[in-house]
Order: sequence, then C-alpha cells, then structure tokens
Amino acid sequence: MGHVLDICTPRILSLELQPEDECLHPRIYFEAMSKATNSPQKSPARREPAVVRADKLQAGYGTTAVCGVVSFSLHGGQAMALVGPNGAGKSTVVKTVVGQLEAVSGTTLINGAEVDDRTLDFRREVAVVFDDDAFFPALTVEEHLAIVSAGHGVEDVEETISAELEFFGLAALAKSRPYNLSSGQRRRMLLASAFVRPRSLLVLDEPEQRLDTAMRHRLATRLRAEVDAGLALLVVTHDPDFLSTVATKALFIADTIHTMTPTQAAVAIASENPHAD
Amino acid sequence: MTTNTSQRFSANEIRQYTFKVGLSRTEGGVMELISEAYTFVLGGLTLLTMAGAIIVGLRNSLGVGHESALVASAVAPGFHSVTLLQASATVLLTLAASLLAVEMTVGPITMSVPQTAWWLGLPVRRRGFIQPGFLKSLIWPAVAAVAVVIPIALGMASNPTPGRIALAVLCGMGLGWLLYGVAAWCQITNSGSWLKVLTAVITLVAPLTLVATALYNNTAGAASITGAQTSWMEYLPTSWPLLVADGAIWPLIIVVFAVLVLGAVYLNLERITTRQLKASAAAGAYVAGSLMSMDATELSKSLGGGPASGTSRVRLPLIFHGGTVFSRSVKTLLSTHTTMILRSPMSLLRVLMLAAIPASLAAVEFLGNAVLIAVVLYLCAHFAATTLGATARFANGNPAVDMLMPLPAKVVRRVHYVLPALGMTVWTAVCFGLLLALGVGSPALLVLALLAGPGLGAATLRAAFRPAPDWNMPAVATASGPIPTGAVKAFLVGPDLTLISLLPVLICLIAGAVPAVAFPAQLTLTYVAFLWGTHVRKPKSAKSKGMFGMPPAPVAK
Repeated sequence: MGHVLDICTPRILSLELQPEDECLHPRIYFEAMSKATNSPQKSPARREPAVVRADKLQAGYGTTAVCGVVSFSLHGGQAMALVGPNGAGKSTVVKTVVGQLEAVSGTTLINGAEVDDRTLDFRREVAVVFDDDAFFPALTVEEHLAIVSAGHGVEDVEETISAELEFFGLAALAKSRPYNLSSGQRRRMLLASAFVRPRSLLVLDEPEQRLDTAMRHRLATRLRAEVDAGLALLVVTHDPDFLSTVATKALFIADTIHTMTPTQAAVAIASENPHAD
Repeated sequence: MTTNTSQRFSANEIRQYTFKVGLSRTEGGVMELISEAYTFVLGGLTLLTMAGAIIVGLRNSLGVGHESALVASAVAPGFHSVTLLQASATVLLTLAASLLAVEMTVGPITMSVPQTAWWLGLPVRRRGFIQPGFLKSLIWPAVAAVAVVIPIALGMASNPTPGRIALAVLCGMGLGWLLYGVAAWCQITNSGSWLKVLTAVITLVAPLTLVATALYNNTAGAASITGAQTSWMEYLPTSWPLLVADGAIWPLIIVVFAVLVLGAVYLNLERITTRQLKASAAAGAYVAGSLMSMDATELSKSLGGGPASGTSRVRLPLIFHGGTVFSRSVKTLLSTHTTMILRSPMSLLRVLMLAAIPASLAAVEFLGNAVLIAVVLYLCAHFAATTLGATARFANGNPAVDMLMPLPAKVVRRVHYVLPALGMTVWTAVCFGLLLALGVGSPALLVLALLAGPGLGAATLRAAFRPAPDWNMPAVATASGPIPTGAVKAFLVGPDLTLISLLPVLICLIAGAVPAVAFPAQLTLTYVAFLWGTHVRKPKSAKSKGMFGMPPAPVAK
C-alpha cells in the first residue's frame, strides 16, 4: 500500500470509497475523476440502468469477510478492473458478484434483479471465466465449445467456433483433447468459451494468466472493442498494460478500498510489482 | 456479443451429446480392464486357492473342528457376545448414519466437476441435467436395503415368512429413500449442518458400543447386559424393518414419509444452486480420489467437508548438533515425520478405531464368522496402513523435500519406513489383543500378528510411493464416463503387499490354529515385504535400454 500512497494524489486519497456517503458514489466519483484526470479512456455518462450494481457488498466465506465493503455500479460500455495485492479478496468479490459465493452482507443487482444464477436470464446474459481447469477428458476442444455455443442457441455454431479458435490460436488443435494441451492453451480454450456465446456482462478472473504477451495484447484489444460496442466487463487483473487497454475504471482492493482511474491503477500495479511483465 | 441465436438445445440433448461423443471415442472394453489387471487378479486367485488349501490342510492335521472353514465361527466357546437385538439395531443405525453422512456430503443431487464447469452456465432448464442422475441413484438405497435387511430379518424374525421379509425389505427401502430425500432436501435448502455432525458421531461411536458391551459382558459374568435391557433399541426408526419382520405393519408408514419427502425434492430439484452443485461435485471427486488411495484419513476428511485448518502446538526439534551429517539428517527426517503424525491426532484416533472394527464383528454372534472377520481385518489393516502413510504420500507428491537431505534415496525410503512399521506393530497388538479378549484367536496368533506388523509398515510405503496411473492406456466406457485401464493397475499397488504381509495370520485365523511353521513363514514374508516396500524404483528413462534392448540412437546436439 505504501507504493499506492506515493503515487496517488491527496485528492484521490481523500476520496477513499465510503459507500454510505451518497456523494461519493463510485459512478459519480469515477465520472468526476475521468474529467479531472483527462484520462484517455473516458467513459460517457450513462442513463441506462446499471448492468451490475453492488451495494455495500462484503465478500467472504461464511460469516468471515475477506475485504472491506464494496459499492460500485457498472454499465454497458464500461469495464471495471479489480486490482490489488494477492489475497486482498478480488476474486472473492467477483465470485460473490456473480453469485458463486454467498455475500457476508450487502446486495448485488444484475440488470436490476438480485443475483440468482438459477434464472435463465442470468445465464443468458452473464459469461463468467474463472480458472476452472476441468474438462471432459474424452471431448475435443471444439466439442467443448460446441456445448456452450449450441446450449446458448447460437445460429451458426461451427462458424462461430472456428472464428474463435482462429482468434485464440487454437485452430490446429480443434480436434485435440484438453488434457493434451499446454496449460496456456487450455487457458485460451476457457477464454474462447466466453466468446462463442452471447453476453452482455463478461466476468474474467485474471485472464492474462498463462497467456503469452501477444495473446494478452490481442485479447485486451478485442475486449476493449467489445466494451466500446456496449459490453459490460468486470475483470480482475495484475497486468498494467492489459488494464490500461481494457478498463474504463478501476477499484483498488487492499486493506482499504479506493476507486481509481485506469491509469492510476496501472501505475499502482506496476509499483506493487515492478518485475511484472 | 451480438451473436445471432436460434432455438436452444435442451439440457437433455446436451447431456446425451456429451455422453455419446465421449463413449464413441473409447478404445477399450471391459476385457481390456480385465487383461490389464489380470496378473494381479490371477495372482490374487492363486494366493486365495493356496490359502484355502493350507487352511483345509491345517484344520484336518490339527483336528480343529469338523465344520467347513467357510462357516466356522472364530469365537471360542464360552465367550459372551452382545444380544442379537443390540447387534442388529446397532448395525442398522450405523449403516443408516453412514448413508446419510455420505449423501449429505457428496449429495444425492450430483454432477461431475467438468459437468458443473461446462453445463451450469447454459441458459437451459437444469432439471434435464440433474433429474436423470437423481432418479437413477434412487436404486442404491433400495439395493442397500435388500442387501442389509434380508439377512438381518431372517436372523431376527421369530417366524420369517416370505411375505413378512418382503414387507421388511420394503420398510428398509422406505428408510433408505427417506434418508436420501432428507439429504437431498438439505442440499437444496443448504441446511442440516447439525445433522451432519450427528451422523458423523453415530457412525464413529455406535460400532464401539458393541466392543465395549461385549468386553463388559465377558468380565461382568452374571451382571452382563440382557436382551430386556436393550429392547428399547427395536423402536429406533432405523430398526423398524426388524419390527415389520416380526409382524408389525405400522412401521411401513415410513414409506409414505419417504414418498412425501422425495416428492418435495422432485418438485424443487431446480432450486439447487450452482454453489451446492459445485460443492457436491468437488466433494465427490475428493471422495473418489480418497477411495483410489484407500486412505481412511483422506476419506474421512472428504466425507467430513474437507481438510481441517488450524494450528498445532506440537513442536519437535528439527535441528540436531551431535553426530555425523548422516545421523543428523536421519534424526531430522525422523523428527519431521513424527511431527507430521502428531499434528494430526485424529488420524491416530482413526487408526485405533480401525483396530477395533474386527473386534466389533467378533462381539456379534452372527457376524463372528472367521472368514468375514479375516476379510474385514484385511481391509482395516490396509486402511490403517495407508492412514499412517500420509507423510510418505506427501513425500511422493513433493520429492524436493526429501532431496534436500544429504542422504541416498534408499536411506530416505527406509527412514520413511520406521514410523509406519512401528505404528502398524502397535495396531496389530491392539487389534489382536481386542480379538483375543473377545474369544477370537490365541496368544500364539497375537505373537504372529506382531511379527506381521513391520510387513504392514512396508505395505504403507508401497501404497504411498506407487507409480502414477498411465493415462495413455486405452480408455474404457463406463456409466460415469471413460476410465483409463492404467488406473486399475495403479489401484492394486499397495493392497497386494498388505495381503502378502498378513497372509499367514489370516490363514491361521481362519484355520483356528497356529502351527509352528507359521512363525518362520511370517518372518520370511515380513522381510520380503520390507525389501519390496522400501525398494526405490528407478525412473523409466534410467532403465531404458532403447528399443528391443538395443542402445538408444544418439541425439544430435
């Protein structure tokens, strides 16, 4: 945190997230900060209802919270990056946001409804990629993707899959079984599964992990384009370049919680881990 | 993001697609499984045949009884068992608690880990994914009821007619389905943690009450516990099938309760959350892994909700100053292994519990069959051995730790042997001591078992350091997906040495006498087991002499 304090202006520090205080609502704060810092990733003020609205959310396991109270909203066309040191609770927060963990306290609304992944609407709209390295041993890469694509009712399944396999550099491995792939290739396959289906909210947990630099860059550029086209993106990342390209706002989760501009968050990450590639 | 969508496939169609594609790609059949494991199967059958011949020969030459060894009781005349009712009621209670405990962990509503990862995010009704498996799995409580209730009802009922036995089985099925339904309801509503604790305690304590009662009966003489004092146990709901076998009809109300609970579960199947399904899938995978390793501790942890966390006060010295580098390293390793064992006292308790289970059979008249006790004893010995092998298994998974020591691999392996050998010797003393107190065996058999203890320690190492399954072997289609045949071969490494180490003891237990020749035979097998279990395999690459024994072709640099 010491590094963060060094790089943040006093104004930022004074704006430490206080969800109870209405005037410090993250969206208002973010919009104000976007104007103030002349960030290249300016996001237009949105009138549509938020895709994600977390209100006084505290994530944890059972009754034990792993981080402070978080409140934020995320609209279509916005990408929020959750950054911070290992063990700060970023992944726990996103898992709680998408209902994979029970919140210690607080609520999350997705498209105005309480999070409930048992509803078809939720699964239709929300694509989630965590680092679940679990595959059907007998199915090939393209068959895994076909399950997702066909399950979501995509019209041209084969065409969609081959385009994504091409994008993720897996075209030659389409007929391979996942356990014959390298760890990075399996990661690409997992990421591809989020793109062979429709989505209005995409949640990614450290998508840059195990990807080579070229793939990271290609993925970041693609995500940015999709965000600009209206996708809402919630991403946990430790990669400052990835963050700078993709994010329109950031939440720094550590002992305390700060909202930041992507540029400030990227600098914060870089100073936390100067050897990060 | 703006992908065009058309009509979606149903969950049923996706499920069938996944299974059909997987099954169409399997290259082997059941015969592959058998041929892969045939050397082990053949070896086991040969051992059993030889053992059977030795048992018959011993019984004839020593003049021990005239009945077949298969039906002979191991309990000596004059020893008191617990009452038939207490035994039956306790067995039913323990089995019911075990069923409920297992179901509350792995869940009657279950999926595999890949299924949760690839199916649960699809916008289709989940009923198609979970309902077929749930309905099919209802067969298991029914099968268990048939297998358990028929023999107990036949033994207990005063006038066992086919009609009464059939109704007793129906009542047993009702009980099984009710427990199944309760577990499923707890899973759907994310409740019942107190029930989980209760079932765990019953499963642990109930069998011990049999041993304690039998020991009391054998020492109390006239004051021993009578049938009248235990008659209340017949009214425990888990004993209701026994009442039905005796002519009562009202306990069949349990079938109605079961249907009601299962109906409620069926209607609410889709209320189960992703969280619950993922948790049960992970628990199922953990349990399957524990069963593969036959480790009682891992199995217990997997059924009890995962590994416990916390701190331990056990702190043993790890740095030694006197002696040579060699002796200091050996002391450090030994101290480390002791620390690891002492830091999991529950494991030690489980090992002791396993030592009491064969005695609990001996405590019950109709379970005191010598062959049954021998089989259970073998299983308990292997579970105890693998439980004591946790440190060795850790070393196998993390070889870098052992490599830190300036010791040859062979010495490190033998240091790993010390504590399991000691532990299993104590285990045999407790196990055969309890059996002796309940009239099974003789002091000579106890001594023979003590000689087998170090051999069981070696079996611990063989199981812990077994090679990983060869996942490149042909896969075989099974109901739960393809299984590589190499996994079966790996599973048999470990139990084989336990059997070999215990063979003379088991033969003498079933034969009912210990001839003098058994002692040198046991000593020889224990020594062979020691050499086998502490043998360090060379990696395949080091053994390779190239194709067909020719030297490998030089590699261009």
